Amino acid sequence: MTGPLLEVRGLKVEIAVPGGMTRPVRGVDFSVAAGETLAIVGESGCGKSLTSLAIMGLLPRAARLAAETIALKGLSLIGLSESGWRRLRGERIAMIFQDPMTALDPCYRIGDQMAEVLRQHRPVSAEAARQRALELLTRVGISSPEQRLTQFPHQLSGGLRQRVMIAMALLCEPELIIADEPTTALDVTIQAQILHLLAEIQRDTGIGLILISHDLGVVAGVAHRIAVMYGGEIVEIGERDAILGRPLHPYTEGLMHSIPVPGETRRGETLGFIPGTVPRQTGELTRCGFLERCPYATGRSAAGPVPLREAADGRLVRCVLPLDGSGRDPAAWTRQAEGV
Amino acid sequence: MNVLEVRGATKTYDVGKTLVGAGRTLHALRGIDLAVRKGETLGLVGESGCGKSTLARLILGIEGPTSGNVTLAGKPVGGYGRLERAKLVQPVFQDPYSSLNPRMRIARIVAAPIEVRGIGTASSRRERVRAVMNAVGLPEHFTEVYPSQLSGGQRQRVAIARALVGEPEILVCDEPTSALDVSVQSQILNLLARLKRELGLTLILISHNLAVVHHLADRVAVMYLGRIVEHGPTEAIFGAPRHPYTAALLASVLSPRPGARLPEMRVGAEFPSPLAPPPGCAFHPRCPCAGEGCATIDPDETRDGPRGYRCHYPLAHA
Amino acid sequence: MASIASATAAPVLALSPGRVALGRTLRHGGFWVGGGILLVILVAAILAPLLTAHDPTWQDLGKRLVPPVWDARGSWEHPLGTDQLGRDYLARLIYGGRISLLIGFATVLISGAIGTALGIAAGYWGGRVDLLINFVLTIRLTLPVVLVALVVVALAGNSLTILMLVIGLLLWDRFAIVTRSATQQIASREFIVAAQAIGSSTGRILFKEILPNITGPLIVVASVELAHAILLEAALSFLGLGVQPPLFTWGLMIAEAKNQLFFRPWLIAVPGAALVALIFAINLVGDAVRDVTAPEGRA
Repeated sequence: MTGPLLEVRGLKVEIAVPGGMTRPVRGVDFSVAAGETLAIVGESGCGKSLTSLAIMGLLPRAARLAAETIALKGLSLIGLSESGWRRLRGERIAMIFQDPMTALDPCYRIGDQMAEVLRQHRPVSAEAARQRALELLTRVGISSPEQRLTQFPHQLSGGLRQRVMIAMALLCEPELIIADEPTTALDVTIQAQILHLLAEIQRDTGIGLILISHDLGVVAGVAHRIAVMYGGEIVEIGERDAILGRPLHPYTEGLMHSIPVPGETRRGETLGFIPGTVPRQTGELTRCGFLERCPYATGRSAAGPVPLREAADGRLVRCVLPLDGSGRDPAAWTRQAEGV
Repeated sequence: MNVLEVRGATKTYDVGKTLVGAGRTLHALRGIDLAVRKGETLGLVGESGCGKSTLARLILGIEGPTSGNVTLAGKPVGGYGRLERAKLVQPVFQDPYSSLNPRMRIARIVAAPIEVRGIGTASSRRERVRAVMNAVGLPEHFTEVYPSQLSGGQRQRVAIARALVGEPEILVCDEPTSALDVSVQSQILNLLARLKRELGLTLILISHNLAVVHHLADRVAVMYLGRIVEHGPTEAIFGAPRHPYTAALLASVLSPRPGARLPEMRVGAEFPSPLAPPPGCAFHPRCPCAGEGCATIDPDETRDGPRGYRCHYPLAHA
Repeated sequence: MASIASATAAPVLALSPGRVALGRTLRHGGFWVGGGILLVILVAAILAPLLTAHDPTWQDLGKRLVPPVWDARGSWEHPLGTDQLGRDYLARLIYGGRISLLIGFATVLISGAIGTALGIAAGYWGGRVDLLINFVLTIRLTLPVVLVALVVVALAGNSLTILMLVIGLLLWDRFAIVTRSATQQIASREFIVAAQAIGSSTGRILFKEILPNITGPLIVVASVELAHAILLEAALSFLGLGVQPPLFTWGLMIAEAKNQLFFRPWLIAVPGAALVALIFAINLVGDAVRDVTAPEGRA
C-alpha cells in the first residue's frame, strides 16, 4: 500500500455562538487507505458529522476550519476554491446522507438528477448519461431500472431512495465515499440489505469508505477499522475486532455495556450506562474530556489533556489507565447510582 | 385478568378526500386481536407503516376503531370520559423534543395530568410532582426549567414522570428509546424495568428494535401491514419464530460483537403500501417461503399453545 | 446520585423560550429604531393635551394657512403652521394620530380575534372544518378590500365604529392563513397528543398548549395588519369615506389639504411624513420579531 488515500491531521472546527466559541472538533487525526472502510462512531454532538463535512468542504458558513493536513492522494484540500471543491465533490469524493428524501431533489425525475450529476463532470451525451444511470441502478440492485429513471423521489420507498443515492455517489467512480448514517432512517429489514450493498461495492471497486454511525451494530458488520469519537476527539482508533472485542477507552467500554443483545444480556437485567451528559464543547481541554462521566477516572485524568497512546495491538487510546485493560471492573457500569 | 383487550379492531383512513370527491382508503389496522394481563409487558414489534402507532392511539382512546373494539378494564375505551380514561392509560412517546410543550416549565408539564383531573390542592400536587420526579431520577431543581434546557434523556424522564404522576394502570411506550443516544437508551430501559418491577405497571412497548423488546417484554406481538402475524411469549418467539417475517426481523438485529457478520436478508426490499395491501397473505411478495395459496388466501391464525401465527408455511420448530 | 448530580447540576437558570426571544429582540437594532419611533408617536398621542395648548378643532379664520416655523413667515406659536381654517397643525397632527392609532389597534384586535380563531380551528381540527374555513377564506380573498369598504361605508354611514368594524371584518385573512399553518405544525407535535391523552379539554389544548406556541408569527402578522389598517383608513378618509369631521385622522388631514398641494406642500408633507414614519416603525418592529422567532438561531 503506497500512502493513504485520505490523510487528516489536526482537524479542528470552531463555531462562534452568542457568548463564545464552541469547539465541536478538537484536533482529529486519521487516514483511510484505498479499499478500506473506516467507521467513525460516536453519539450526537461528538463531532463525527462535522468531521465528514469538513472533508467534503461543506461546513456551515459559521464554522471555522483549521487543520494541518487534509489530503486526498497528496492533494491538499485546505483552502481549496469553491470551483476546486465542485470539481472534486462527486468526481473524487462522494457523500451519502442519512435521509435520501432530503438529499434528492423532489422536483426532478431520478434519471434527470443522475444525468445532471454525471454531465457536470463528464462531457457525455444525454444518451450515454442515461445508459450509465441505468447501469448503476442495476448495479445497486434496483429492479426495473428503466421505469425508475422516470420516477420522482417520492414515488420510491426509503430503501430504494437510499439505493438511488448510492448509485448517484458511484456515477463518477469516486475514490472515496463518505456515508453519514446511511441506514438510520431505514427499516431494520432494509438496513442490513443497504449495508450489504455498501460493503459489496466497497470490496468490488476498492474505493475508500468512511462510514459514520452512532450504532456499533451497524459498524461491526462493515468496518475494517473503527474510530470512536467523544467530545470532538478520537478517543480510540484501531482494528475493528480488537476494539469490539476488548474496548480500552472507558467510553467505548461504556457504550458496549449499554447495548442489550438478545441471547447475551439477560432479559430485564440492569444494563450498563454512561452517567451524565455530553458537556458543552467550549474552551480548550485541560484534562480528560470524559472525566466527569468515567467510573474509572483517577487523579491523573485531571492532570492535563490526555494524549493518544499506542496499545500493544497497535490501536491508539486516549486514556491514562493501563492499556492492557487491567485494573478495571466492568460491573462499575451498572453499579453506579442512576444519574441523569 | 385482562386489563386490555382488543377484538377485531380495524382502522381505516380516507386520504385525499375533498368536499365533493371521494379519496382512497388507507388500511392502517386490518383486524387486531390482543389481550394483555395486568402487570404484563407486551412488546409490539414492526416496521414503519405496520400500524403499531395507530394501535397505540386506539389504546389511548385518542381515536376510535373503525370496527371491532378496544376494552380497558372490562369496558370499551369509548365508554370512558376523557378523565377516567387518562386515569387508566398514559403514553410515552418517541421524540422527547416533540412531546414536551416548549413553553411550559417542567413542573407544569409533569403536573398537568393531575391538574386536569383536579386532584388535590396546588401544594399537594407540587409534592406529588416532586415525588414522581425523584422516582424517575430527575433532580428537584429541574421543576423550574424549560424543556429546551434539558438533554434528550432528561426530557424522556420528564415524559415518563408525566405519564406516571396520575398513577395509571397501563403505560403505552411508543419507541421510547429510538430518539436517544445508546448510552442514554440503556438508562431509560433500566428505568422502565425498575418502574415495571416496583409499581407493577402494565407496559405496552412499541418498538422496531428487537433487542429493546427482547430486553423488557414478557410477550411479543409482531405486526405487519395492520395485522399481528405472530405472537407469544418472548423466549418462545425469539427462540423459534414460526412466521418468516418474525425470522427476518430477528435476523436483522445487528450485533456489536467482534466477528459479527452482516445478516443475510432473504426478504424482498419492497414494503407494500397500506393503501393497497397485497391480496392473500400481505407478506407474500417479500416472503422467501411463499408457496401455493399465499397470494390468494389470507391465512387465519394458527394457535400453538400460548402462541399463534398467521402463515400457510410456518417455519419448523427449532 | 449526589456525586453525579453535583457534576451536572451547575446553576440552571430557568430561561423561558419567551424570555430568550425577548432577550434577542432587545439586541436587535431594527427593534430599537422602530420601537423608538413607535414609542414617540404613542406617547404623543396619549399625552396630547400636555404637548400642545391649542385645541385642534378651534378655528381662527384670521390666521389661516400660517406657514410652519422653518418658513420665514412662520412663528413658534404655531410650530407646524395652521390649516385652511386656521387650526393649529401641530395639535391636529398629535390628536389626529390618536384616531389613526385607535382605528389601527381596534381593527387589529377584531381581525386578529376572527382570523386567529378561524386559523386555529382549521389547523387543529382539519378535515371538513378546514375545508369550510378555507372556503370562507377564499371568498374573503376574492373581495377587493377597498371597494367593499367603500360600498359598506357608503351604505351604512361612516361612524368611527362602523369604520373599525368594516376594516376589522375585512383584514383577518392573513391572521387565518398564518395561524392555520402554525397550528398545523404544532398540532402534529407529540405534546398535543400527550395533552389529549391526559384528558385535557379542547379549550385547554387550544389556549394553553397551542396558542402560546404561535405567538411569534401572530405578532408578526399583527404588525403587518396594523400598518395595513392604518393605511386603509387613511385611504378611505382621503376618498371622503373615512372618519367625518369633527373627528379627523392623518388621512383626512391629507385629504383636506389636497387642493393646497402645490402652494402649501407642508400641509400634505407633515401628516404624510408622520404616516410614513409610523408605518416604517411598525414594520421594523415586526421584522425584528420575525427575525428572533422564525427559524431557530437566525439572530
